[in-house]
Amino acid sequence: MDAKLDMFEDVNTSPSLEGDMSIPGKRTTTTATSPGGVPDYNTLDEPIRETVLRDIRAVGIKFYHVLYPKEKSSLLRDWDLWGPLVLCTFMATILQGSSSADSMSDNGPEFAQVFVIVWIGAAIVTLNSKLLGGNISFFQSVCVLGYCLTPVAISLIVCRVILLAAQTRLLFFLRFVTTTMGFAWATYASFVFLGQSQPPHRKPLAVYPIFLFFFIISWLVLSHN
Amino acid sequence: METPTADDLLQFRDYSGGAPAQINVNSPTHAQGGGSGFGSGSGSGGGSNAQRQRGDPLADLIYDMSTSAQNMAGGGSNQAQNVSLDGSGGGGAGGARLSFLTIEYYQQFFNVDTYMVLERIVNSMIPKRAAGNYLRMNIGENPDLYGPFWITVTLIFSIAISGNIASYLHHASDGYHWHYNFHLVSYAATCIFLYANILPAVLWALFKYSLKPVDTADAVETDSASYTPTLLSLMCIYGYSLAIYIPVSILWVINISVLQWLLVITAALLSGTVLIAVLTPALRNSQFSLFLIIGILSAHVVLAAGFLLYFFHSPPDSPVAAATPAPVAPAAPAALKAVTEAVLANVAPGNRSQ
Repeated sequence: MDAKLDMFEDVNTSPSLEGDMSIPGKRTTTTATSPGGVPDYNTLDEPIRETVLRDIRAVGIKFYHVLYPKEKSSLLRDWDLWGPLVLCTFMATILQGSSSADSMSDNGPEFAQVFVIVWIGAAIVTLNSKLLGGNISFFQSVCVLGYCLTPVAISLIVCRVILLAAQTRLLFFLRFVTTTMGFAWATYASFVFLGQSQPPHRKPLAVYPIFLFFFIISWLVLSHN
Repeated sequence: METPTADDLLQFRDYSGGAPAQINVNSPTHAQGGGSGFGSGSGSGGGSNAQRQRGDPLADLIYDMSTSAQNMAGGGSNQAQNVSLDGSGGGGAGGARLSFLTIEYYQQFFNVDTYMVLERIVNSMIPKRAAGNYLRMNIGENPDLYGPFWITVTLIFSIAISGNIASYLHHASDGYHWHYNFHLVSYAATCIFLYANILPAVLWALFKYSLKPVDTADAVETDSASYTPTLLSLMCIYGYSLAIYIPVSILWVINISVLQWLLVITAALLSGTVLIAVLTPALRNSQFSLFLIIGILSAHVVLAAGFLLYFFHSPPDSPVAAATPAPVAPAAPAALKAVTEAVLANVAPGNRSQ
């Protein structure tokens, strides 16, 4: 117990250590912006439209990377949570049970329930991979999981369109195939992005929660009617 | 929890009953005394080296203290004291004990490999597969929370999903416009999490409470056989014991009543006997092992029966679901009695030998 007290004294009295603490944060932010394309731009002078368009383009590029999962660096290195937020809000809005119908027959999830399942689910899956010893930062993983919802969201749109027609067995089968494809795609994409962060003998343990996460959301999509 | 206050330090020194000179050197009151504290700190190096031979952590701490005092440039021991008093985050910086706020602390509960998790799942389903000292050597050495957590989560959703599919199939024939019931997830989550957390805690408390007084002479002989598990290992075992309900909950979709009840009995008895067999070393230690065995098994059967009645017998005709427990009630205790007798035959020799 005495030693702990002393360690603190040590840290506290030498200011050079405090400088050290803040260096990793700075380093990541500088590397995050430099390979993004334009090396140094002055955001003070440019019009707001350019700033917004550049950010939107960055988000759009990430969507593209998820749909065509070959190149991993951009999605992993400069993460953002805009895409997940948009996707999650969109899916929750569509999936929520309509309150106008009589409450007894329609027991779909509330907006908040979908929202919580997506965010808490992503957080738990990420925490799981951290606890298993994966070398990936928290928000990187949440970002990847959020962006990987894109195929599922697309299948939700398709299902919604199919639901406009009268329901038959064939159309249900079509919805089932669409959802399954979205689910497989999302799982594969997130596996490509996140699979490398785990030691090989624990990879199945880290992949299973991802599988479960997308499976549950796909189930919500399929059973929405 | 780990941060020392000034009072703790003083009491600790009194406990050790070491040389009184070192009490003066290391006590915080003296360090606060002023600039002279550093001089005396470095002077204590010789004295603390002598105590270092004992190899206790205290001597290491004193050694660290004296070296860091030599490195120190200026004053501010007062300030450092304040930091250590309110800052619990960096508590584990030096030692092997980690603060419970760090992620490394929780990593020790997830220290499993794929084959180990699969092994434990299989062991929880097939009786007699695990070795006799499974509780102590396997679970007790490295209890994990990965399996229990993900098994419970999977079970929650598999029950909710297949409950929905069952109700869909139930209504598929008539032209009823079916809606899925998302609230099943909430109900399933509540009851499964309660079962997987409350029951091990209760069991753990009962094990503690009903521990048999053991003679020292007996303890030498029976030490290998009897063993009281920690709360964590109990939660681990209980979490894994739920694994069998995942495939069963998918099979419950088939709407044949006899088959469903057969599955309930089979699953509950399979994992129930495994539970009893694994916990046998602890049960031997307990004064009322008979009641514990009955309690564990009946809780397991009631859980399975509750799943079937609540989630798979369609909610619209709830009077039917309410009426069904009546015929079941005689069946369950009869099966229960058969198993408890079988298990008791196993446990009883152990009881007598003590």
